[in-house]
Amino acid sequence: MTPVKSPRKLILYVAGQTPKSLAAIANLERICAEELPGQYTVEVIDLRKDPKLARQHGIVAIPTLVRELPIPLRKLIGDLSDTGKVLVNLKITDGA
Amino acid sequence: MTSSLLLQKDVLIADLRRKLAEAEETMRAIRENEVDALVMRGPLADEIFTIGGEQESYRTFMEVMEPGAAALDGAGRVLYANSTLTRLLGRSLAELQGKPLAESLNGNAGTEIARLLRDASDTARTREIHLSRKGEAELHFIAVAAPLQLGTTSGHAVTFTDVTERVLNESAEQSEHAARAVIASANEAVLVCDRNGIITHANAAAGIAYDGNPIGKVFAEIIPLVFRDSTGVLQADDMIAMVIGGTPLRGIEATAPKAPRVKDYLVSAAPLRIAGDRISGAVVTMVDLSQRKAAEKQQNLLMRELDHRVKNTLALVVSISARTASNTDTVEAFQKAFSGRIQALAATHTLLLDNAWSSLELQDIVMSEVAPYVEAAADQVTIEGLNVAVTPRAAIAFGLVVHELTTNAVKYGALSQPGGRVTVRAIGRDSGNDGAFVLEWRESGGPQVAPPDRKGFGHAVIARSLQYSPGGGAEFDFDPSGVVCRISIPPEDLN
Repeated sequence: MTPVKSPRKLILYVAGQTPKSLAAIANLERICAEELPGQYTVEVIDLRKDPKLARQHGIVAIPTLVRELPIPLRKLIGDLSDTGKVLVNLKITDGA
Repeated sequence: MTSSLLLQKDVLIADLRRKLAEAEETMRAIRENEVDALVMRGPLADEIFTIGGEQESYRTFMEVMEPGAAALDGAGRVLYANSTLTRLLGRSLAELQGKPLAESLNGNAGTEIARLLRDASDTARTREIHLSRKGEAELHFIAVAAPLQLGTTSGHAVTFTDVTERVLNESAEQSEHAARAVIASANEAVLVCDRNGIITHANAAAGIAYDGNPIGKVFAEIIPLVFRDSTGVLQADDMIAMVIGGTPLRGIEATAPKAPRVKDYLVSAAPLRIAGDRISGAVVTMVDLSQRKAAEKQQNLLMRELDHRVKNTLALVVSISARTASNTDTVEAFQKAFSGRIQALAATHTLLLDNAWSSLELQDIVMSEVAPYVEAAADQVTIEGLNVAVTPRAAIAFGLVVHELTTNAVKYGALSQPGGRVTVRAIGRDSGNDGAFVLEWRESGGPQVAPPDRKGFGHAVIARSLQYSPGGGAEFDFDPSGVVCRISIPPEDLN
């Protein structure tokens, strides 16, 4: 019996409604819904509202997507328009 | 070096490598335009800097634009839409942002916008777009898309100019032209009134109801109508009010006393609905009933005439019967004389029927009466100058006179033997007798004539038939060489 795993969290750092931020949100929603249903919950952090949250993951460039688990921690910078690249970093294999 | 120190060194190197990789990735991302904001460490706190300038400036600019406007990224997603556009689309900015604009537009509009963006990759393009919203009239826009660079993002600027009013005006103008053409082509008088009963349109045929330009005048004042069977309760202004109230009127007979040419009409009126359910006036059509009325009058006249004639004929038949009986000695003689006279009457009636009871020529009556007794009428009977038309009254009387003359001639006179002749010819107008038309029946070549011992009914018929008028009558001359009869047709019965 396969144990039911609780969805793991992705954090997307954006800066208000800059074009790349809006694109990253839309792309991530689409990829999660179409390619990784039920595997991740997504938290969007607007650094324009609270810039100090950038320190937690050492964010420099926006937008940036952070996958904390499974380790190692991964960061993906950009608007996530390259679906293949996103999937390579987010696909959860059986061992992961 | 202890093993613990070696491990620490490995961890440090791995951490440095990860940080180096991250730094390289960040540099690459910045170089390749994949980010548009950076976190900068300030003296007090971290700050966010947007690459390519603050967005507020272009957003403020878009807000003051009159048309609806949107900034789209390279995938057609909405980066920003001004309040005019959000209002036009009935969506909030939050609903539109980050989503492809084409998906936020209903039906064809989405497809049209997607095509427009594709066409506008290098230069500005324009397309007309129709937008339907639930429960509301369709909106028409001119959409213009032009390439746009926002910071590190390439996309499009799209504007939507509302041309609904212009399109509706054009459409209304076309409808107006069509409506005018329809009204102008109608054979009937068509008048269109506004809600106050003032005429706004009228076709050329309306000239039969009003002599002049009716536009701008009150219908009920320039074309007052009297409706049949309404005892004056319903008038033209009531009719317009009823129609504007929503009740159409179909085919009501009315008289227009002030109309210049035609007085009798069949009037119909219908509510005018230009847009939606609101009644904006009335359309009145008036069909000329004068010909139908004239036909009805003619029919009534004919019915009365027929009644009169039947009564006259029956009285004449009774009179002929009585006088024939008093002048014949046997039943056979009565039968022969009576049926001959009735046939004479019938012959004239047949002629009258053929001419629709209008008028007959004297020569036709003579031919009709003589034909049954003379096989080759042309040889024995000559008719001259009798192409004179007379009224039905004179035709019937003259027919009886000719019948009596013919039967006398066949029994006792010129037509009783071969070689005998009858000449019926015009003498002319009698100047002394009100201008009566005089003709002569002259027999020749028959047995010698002597005045009769007694005057039978035939003689009375001949003498009296045309005496219904002072100008009419007949006189005998029993010339030994042949009977001569001068017949006068009353002048008022000459057509």
